[in-house]
Amino acid sequence: MAPTVLIGLDGATFTVLDPYMRAGVMPNLAALDARGTRAVLRSIMPPLTPPAWTSLVTGKHPGQHGIFDFFQKEEPGSVYFSFATSQQVGTSTIWTLASEQGRRVISLNFPLTFPPPPVEGAIVPGGMMPWRQLRLGTHPPGLFERLQELPGFKPREMLDMELEIKAIDGCPEDELAEFVELHIRREQRWAEVLGYLMENEPAELTAIMFDGVDKLQHLCWRFIDPAFRPAQPSDWERQMIELCERYFNSLDALIGAIVEAAGEDATVVFASDHGFGPTQDVFHVNSWLERNGYLFWADGQRRDEREGRADTDVGFAEMTRHVHALDWSRTVAYAATPSSQGIHLVDRTPGSEEPLPAEVRAKLTAEIAAKLREVRRPHDDAQLIEEVWTREQAFSGPFEALGPDLSLVLADGGTMSILPSETVVARRPEARGHHRWEGVFLALGPGIRAGAQVQELSIVDVAPLLLHRVGLPAPEDMAGSVPEAIFEPGELERDPPRRAPASAPTLTSSPVAEAELDPEEQAAVMERLRALGYVE
Amino acid sequence: MTTLDPQVLQGILELLEEAQGDWEYEGEIGPETRFVADLGLESLEIVVLSTMVQQRYGRLPFPQFFEEIGQRPEDERDLSVAELTAFVCEHRQPSGQPSGVEA
Repeated sequence: MAPTVLIGLDGATFTVLDPYMRAGVMPNLAALDARGTRAVLRSIMPPLTPPAWTSLVTGKHPGQHGIFDFFQKEEPGSVYFSFATSQQVGTSTIWTLASEQGRRVISLNFPLTFPPPPVEGAIVPGGMMPWRQLRLGTHPPGLFERLQELPGFKPREMLDMELEIKAIDGCPEDELAEFVELHIRREQRWAEVLGYLMENEPAELTAIMFDGVDKLQHLCWRFIDPAFRPAQPSDWERQMIELCERYFNSLDALIGAIVEAAGEDATVVFASDHGFGPTQDVFHVNSWLERNGYLFWADGQRRDEREGRADTDVGFAEMTRHVHALDWSRTVAYAATPSSQGIHLVDRTPGSEEPLPAEVRAKLTAEIAAKLREVRRPHDDAQLIEEVWTREQAFSGPFEALGPDLSLVLADGGTMSILPSETVVARRPEARGHHRWEGVFLALGPGIRAGAQVQELSIVDVAPLLLHRVGLPAPEDMAGSVPEAIFEPGELERDPPRRAPASAPTLTSSPVAEAELDPEEQAAVMERLRALGYVE
Repeated sequence: MTTLDPQVLQGILELLEEAQGDWEYEGEIGPETRFVADLGLESLEIVVLSTMVQQRYGRLPFPQFFEEIGQRPEDERDLSVAELTAFVCEHRQPSGQPSGVEA
């Protein structure tokens, strides 16, 4: 069987790739684009690395697979958040499905693959995987030692947690050049591992993810997007523009080598987990909740957390500290992480052990959503928040109760900060890159149309396509389906997509049952909420 | 005083020794070894390590444990192998009557 290769480009968008292809910075990708079918690939809510890549490799939305964020609710009803790992992925992935049906797989640098599932093939996890523990995360046993024989195998450069934080929380300008250069080397290290595996331990389904695209676009948008490049760049700005070009040119060379190694009969699919675009707005969501009477900081937290911070810091390093930063005797709504763009409501009536009544929860949800839509940007008085999704709208499925109650989409694609701030809406002086819904898809191989562009596809369509190309059916409960428009006429008649019975979700936790209160308990709860001002 | 199950202690030491080859720490790892001060781990690395511990001993209330550590005075925000072992022994699902030593 000719191999199927997935090349993941974290955060890639055609608004960046197309100009680089036209300018000759990415000649290999340009040639492959002419040989294949492309489409905009719509991401999920939230368009964020952990849930979006999990959607891509499971063919399901977050409410169906259970991954919402880097850190997420440990269980429904809890205010504690735990680090999301493969243990929280509540359904099969392309790796496990293919492996269970006799296909070898290779998976390199994908998030949520740690601890690695016991597949037939090789997994080297990525995402927020500390390099010092890569040996523990590499599957199968013995592979790490084989990889250590490679001259370019340097886990420290392949997985650096500080880079993850810098990409979101910011990086001093005098470190930016090294940041880009490190990512050039980083992609080369991963490609070398892939080259070794493709040659020595080949698989029917091979996948690698390059995440430098996301990292560079976060911090270097003004040097990457032609529309934002300075008209009269300084020497340093010119150096940064050239350095970013060098990153994409180097990535392009790796892409060319991977596709060549896969062979002419291979199917190659490029996909990103989300797109990217410029943004300047920062919404201090917890401060907004505080001003509107939904959130109360614990004594000393408000002042302590603010010291020495810029008003555009988002608080990536402060994730999950809400447990001790908030006054739970009064707080009803909070944001625990800046990454999910989500607001959680408490599950207990503040100051008591009683559950928050469903009608109060519904009222608060609607009330907060309505007020959020009224927030204006100080600099132009425009609406700050374009969309507010309820949990039911965003995360329908067996894991719905783990997701935020409200998910926000800022008008300029901006970010949320969870830090206390005197300013509710801050504005960065220069555009930074941030996630958008519109990612990239490009597929080429036998039976796939050349030089075509089709209508927008969904990120959940990629898993059924990859399974189809390795001769396997997609489970019936996959939300996505094989994108028929990318195939040449007659191709799917010869090889029609198949469906297989769904397997039961591997629930790691069960939803909280609606608690039944007797009339006396209900009266006490309502009195408590009335005293706090949440019900009239 | 918490009773340490020697098998749990041994299991955690084996896990650390497996990873130790890639760390810049050449000393012997024992019950008193501290993850931050001695092994030089970052907080997220300890969080990831806890995933491997759960792989072996089942789901444990690590978020609560880490929050409690985070509330300690700054110079006490560390975790020893013995402390981690005691936490696992206290919270893992019961599986028979282990013979233990006291920490």
